[in-house]
Amino acid sequence: MRLVRTLAAGIVLAAALPLLAQGGLTVPRTIEAGSAFSVQSSGSGQGTLYIVGPGQVLKRDVQLGSSVNFEAGALYNAGHYLVFLSGSGDTASLDVLPSSKVADVSFLARPSRLPVGLRDGITGAVYLFDSYQNLVTKPTTVDFQLSTPGSAAQNRNITTRDGAAWIAVDSSPKEGAAQFIARVGDIATKRIIGQVPGDPCGLQMTARPAGPKVALETAPVRDCSGNAVPDGTIITFTESFNGGQTTVDVPLKRGIAKVEMPAYPGATITVASGVVLGNQIRWGR
Amino acid sequence: MLFPEANVQKSESVVPHAREPQEHVLPQRAPVDRVTAQRPLPMSLLLLAAVAVHLPLLLMKLPLKSYDTNQHIFFASHYLHHWFDPWNPKWYAGFSQMTYPPLPQQWIAVVSHITGLDLAYMFVQLVAIMLLVVGVYRFAKIWVSPRAASFAALGAVFLGSESFLVYSAGQLGTTSAAPLYLNALPFLYDWVRYGRWRAFLKGAALFTAAAAAHHATLLFGSFFFALPVLALALVERNEGEEMSIAAFLARTISIMVVVGAAIAVVLLPFWIALIKYPVTQTPIPHASRANYLLSPEWGLNYFVVPYGALILALPFIFWRGAGDRRLRPLLLGFWVAFLVGLGGTTPIGHLLLGRAFDVITMERFSYWATLLALPFVGLFAQEIIASFRTRAMVALAALAMCSCALAVSWSTYHPADAADFKVDSSAAWLNRDGHDRYSYITLGFGNKISRLAMETNAPSEDGEWNSGRLLPELTKYGGAQLTSSKYFGKAGLNALRAILDHADHYGLKWILVRDRYYDPLLAFAGWRPVDSLDDKTIIIWAKDGVPPFTPVNAPQMPPHWQGMMWGILPFGSSIVALLVLLIPERRRREEEVIDTYPSGESLVPGRLAS
Amino acid sequence: MSGRLLALILFAATIVFVVIGTVWPLPEAVVFAGGGALANDTSSPQAALRSFGDDIHAQAWGKAYFSLANRAQFTLPQFMADMMGYYPNLRTYSGLDTFEIAPVHATDTDAEFHVKLHWATVVGDAVDNRDVHVVKNGDRWQVDWPFTKQPVLPPQVIPVNYLRWDVIYRGAGDDWGAADVEQPHVKIIDMHPVQRAEGTFIMGELLNEDVVPAYVSVTATLLNKSQQPIATEGSFDKISHLLLPKQVTPFFIKFADVNLSQVGGVRMTPFSTLIPASADPVIEVQDEKLDTSAVPSLSGQLVNQSGQIANVAHVLGTFYDQNGNLVWVADQYVDHALLPQTPVAFNIHIPEDLAHKIASQRTVISTFNMGGTA
Repeated sequence: MRLVRTLAAGIVLAAALPLLAQGGLTVPRTIEAGSAFSVQSSGSGQGTLYIVGPGQVLKRDVQLGSSVNFEAGALYNAGHYLVFLSGSGDTASLDVLPSSKVADVSFLARPSRLPVGLRDGITGAVYLFDSYQNLVTKPTTVDFQLSTPGSAAQNRNITTRDGAAWIAVDSSPKEGAAQFIARVGDIATKRIIGQVPGDPCGLQMTARPAGPKVALETAPVRDCSGNAVPDGTIITFTESFNGGQTTVDVPLKRGIAKVEMPAYPGATITVASGVVLGNQIRWGR
Repeated sequence: MLFPEANVQKSESVVPHAREPQEHVLPQRAPVDRVTAQRPLPMSLLLLAAVAVHLPLLLMKLPLKSYDTNQHIFFASHYLHHWFDPWNPKWYAGFSQMTYPPLPQQWIAVVSHITGLDLAYMFVQLVAIMLLVVGVYRFAKIWVSPRAASFAALGAVFLGSESFLVYSAGQLGTTSAAPLYLNALPFLYDWVRYGRWRAFLKGAALFTAAAAAHHATLLFGSFFFALPVLALALVERNEGEEMSIAAFLARTISIMVVVGAAIAVVLLPFWIALIKYPVTQTPIPHASRANYLLSPEWGLNYFVVPYGALILALPFIFWRGAGDRRLRPLLLGFWVAFLVGLGGTTPIGHLLLGRAFDVITMERFSYWATLLALPFVGLFAQEIIASFRTRAMVALAALAMCSCALAVSWSTYHPADAADFKVDSSAAWLNRDGHDRYSYITLGFGNKISRLAMETNAPSEDGEWNSGRLLPELTKYGGAQLTSSKYFGKAGLNALRAILDHADHYGLKWILVRDRYYDPLLAFAGWRPVDSLDDKTIIIWAKDGVPPFTPVNAPQMPPHWQGMMWGILPFGSSIVALLVLLIPERRRREEEVIDTYPSGESLVPGRLAS
Repeated sequence: MSGRLLALILFAATIVFVVIGTVWPLPEAVVFAGGGALANDTSSPQAALRSFGDDIHAQAWGKAYFSLANRAQFTLPQFMADMMGYYPNLRTYSGLDTFEIAPVHATDTDAEFHVKLHWATVVGDAVDNRDVHVVKNGDRWQVDWPFTKQPVLPPQVIPVNYLRWDVIYRGAGDDWGAADVEQPHVKIIDMHPVQRAEGTFIMGELLNEDVVPAYVSVTATLLNKSQQPIATEGSFDKISHLLLPKQVTPFFIKFADVNLSQVGGVRMTPFSTLIPASADPVIEVQDEKLDTSAVPSLSGQLVNQSGQIANVAHVLGTFYDQNGNLVWVADQYVDHALLPQTPVAFNIHIPEDLAHKIASQRTVISTFNMGGTA
């Protein structure tokens, strides 16, 4: 809501004049959020000056005909303000513009975890705010940078529109925690994106006798980009023999999965992970 | 005094008690002693005895350990906050409290404004106990002499079944309806036998209030209590003031019609609920239906403890009851109640009650049987005291106190809940952070679920009032409380599985577990532990993705006019009964009654002299 | 009638009623008496076996043990362990609900029965099949219990280096724009509705395609021809709720009283959330045999390859036709604890009318550790 009000105020005030005398009150037409300003009244006697705007109200007892000074930081919420003087009925309006200096970069990066090599898989959106948390609507350049250890960083500059900028970038082909940074001037906000290996690729196992059993062991399991599939990933070994079947779901440990299964001569042994099938072995007679 | 007859020194001469003078051999003692020996115990003494025995126990809140007390307080707490809205969303995802007569619970709600709910319950229970003493005296006096009746009333103070129901079972409905009913019966007798209109009014008012306290008491009490009284009136129709058969029938039918109509109106929402949603649930096993010989542990619980020393009086009851023509209707009433109260030990309960045998519990029949036995006990006490004086008094007092002590302490030796724990932390957890937007059930909480329901804002699919259940998952199987599912075997576990299966329908997100037995089911069914309370003795399991609770059973919600009726008429019936009882009795010729009620017919003077 | 006669009649009638109620107890009373009478009937093989079953039902272990003919071969604790196991399992806290006796053969001195013991466990009915011998000793029949010695773990140290995932969620002090941990990505890879006499069933398979463990469930909403919801049900326990990375579970959702012809569409809603989990225990399914004969079933043995005892195991079988299409999903809870390297048999029943369609199957095991979670 505040964003909408701020945007509306920004558009309305874009063509505002620096000062405007309205009725018996002389107020600046626009001021920058948080800056000092003064209001000149006319007439004589005592009165009360009100400045009413979005989320903020100022009240001052004034000697009519004199000037009322407001210190820096007195009026800080961007938007359209109504100024009126009780007693005299004089009214005026005042627009407070957000500061052009960016003080805070709010950065939303999604998702926090995704597979490697995914096109436009990572999205980032920034909202720029001044030191009073008003949305900075002035077009500003934002520097986005996605860097994964061991691979080249991706850089893009985007100019904000109405205080916001967004970007979609590919996840890198190398797994790891990527740093996704949005920078405006010397202000940077960092998010960590977990880039995780994809489905296993070229799943291979070997078999060797182990007493009355057959010892099965996969080669180090990697995805199609060569990243090691993380430990804990389930590898399913299935041994079929003479209408019977033995299945075991084994989690990867240190990159490989191994298991001992009954050794039936002529048995067919397959390996799979999720929907990915690996090689097949026929245990010799 | 509300019951003028209770003032025995000035009571009217009641002809039916008169016996042939030659049957009675009075002890040869000094006139003053003889008069004293024949006097009934003063009612003030009897009431003081009741207060002396039960007030400390009630102030200790001993009934809170019983099976049903917390349920009554839970109902009362709802009346306290929603007097005219009997729809309670806290159990069974919403149920109507109009499925249970409300009178004692509404009185608790009223008194709780002064004392709080727990003490209000104790207060109402104490009043019921005191009314029982008066009721037993008045009822017994129909059958036996005032002195014997006063012994019967004293026996009621120590009655094992009363203490068992109050302190172990927590059956406030039964223990408050029975006294009202007993107090109504002498009026029934007076109306039918003598056609006294005051008796008609008072009897009708008390019967209606009794029904508002507990419907089953009135229904079955009619057979066990009222039929013997009517039979007595018929048997004695030619003694003293004569009564024709036509008059007997007309008076009987008239009071039946008036009382029936009054009860139909006062409990109209109850009947509507019963007709619209009849109790068609799968029966839930109850140990009171056990065979007490094949299951001696239940025999101890449902026979030895409630009867206590009354077991020793059984031969006397049969012998004297059968030997005296006047007492035979009472004996038959007692005998049938006794047989039904034996549960599955005999086939009689099943034969007489039919399907009701599987719905209602049997301990109340033993309670009624013991109440019907009290006039005999009073008679026995009168005779044995007349014969053996101090020795008899000491022996009777010892037996009475032992019976009472066993029944009172039974809730400790055989507690409703083995584990005593507070539910405050569970309630606080449910009430914070928006947890009460979802419903919950507990596992292993026993009858603490009533207390928890009182303290939390969250709704639950579980509950303790089985007849109020509407959820098909609960009514389909023969299990009772979900929190105690495992004790109902396959039926209980099937009901639990069914309700967990439909957790999303009911917004059932939280399960508070105090029994690790259920953990495998919860884990395999998609719940996971998210928090713990009370040093990890209570684990809170949650299911993800469950939508917030929305009220269900909306079609069963009673309309507003029924809520108004429910809030006004049952409670109003008790007020009317109180007002009607204030109508003074017709002044009658005062007469000393001592010599009208001789002691037993088989006294041996020689022994008396010893 | 004289008073004495009436008293005697009432007293005698009371005794008669009590005797009737005790000799032929009501079903309501039998529930609490363990189905039994005052004394065990050992007059026939069936009666002896029935009395023995009643004692087990009443958990009168001592009475049951001392009624056995071969009790010298084992102790009372061993007998109880045979019934309930040495290690906590599904049967440990359950009671015998019912039992069935089928005679196999009988002579004057012995008889053979097939006995089915139905245990009411927390997750449902668990059936224990035993072939029981009953012998005549003197004038009474006694059960010769087929004692199965329970395996006992020798004292040992088993090093544990299993994988474990822990989760730290965003906290109150985190930056406004900081994302919480991403929920696991799961995908329904197969879904198939089927009409049966009991109603409509939705079955399918769910894959955890992420690299983190997922706690999953599936909800199905049936839509009518106008795409209006008819009913919504969840997978309850016919699914493995914990999925490790790249693990697949079947799911099976029952809609009682809904006919498939009414259904115009199905809306599937998989749910997943990130939870702490461990990769242990690893359970091997050995010697699976698909029997499509008269009593179709999938049988096999579970072997716990870890050092941790799995107190309860749930076996989910997914059955496919020759083209790899899903035909049926069935399950069984194993009521014995899985000790390390100790095979425990399982047997999943398959509907007879579907058995001939089944060409292959896949088995998924989920376990529960008492004191832990599934």
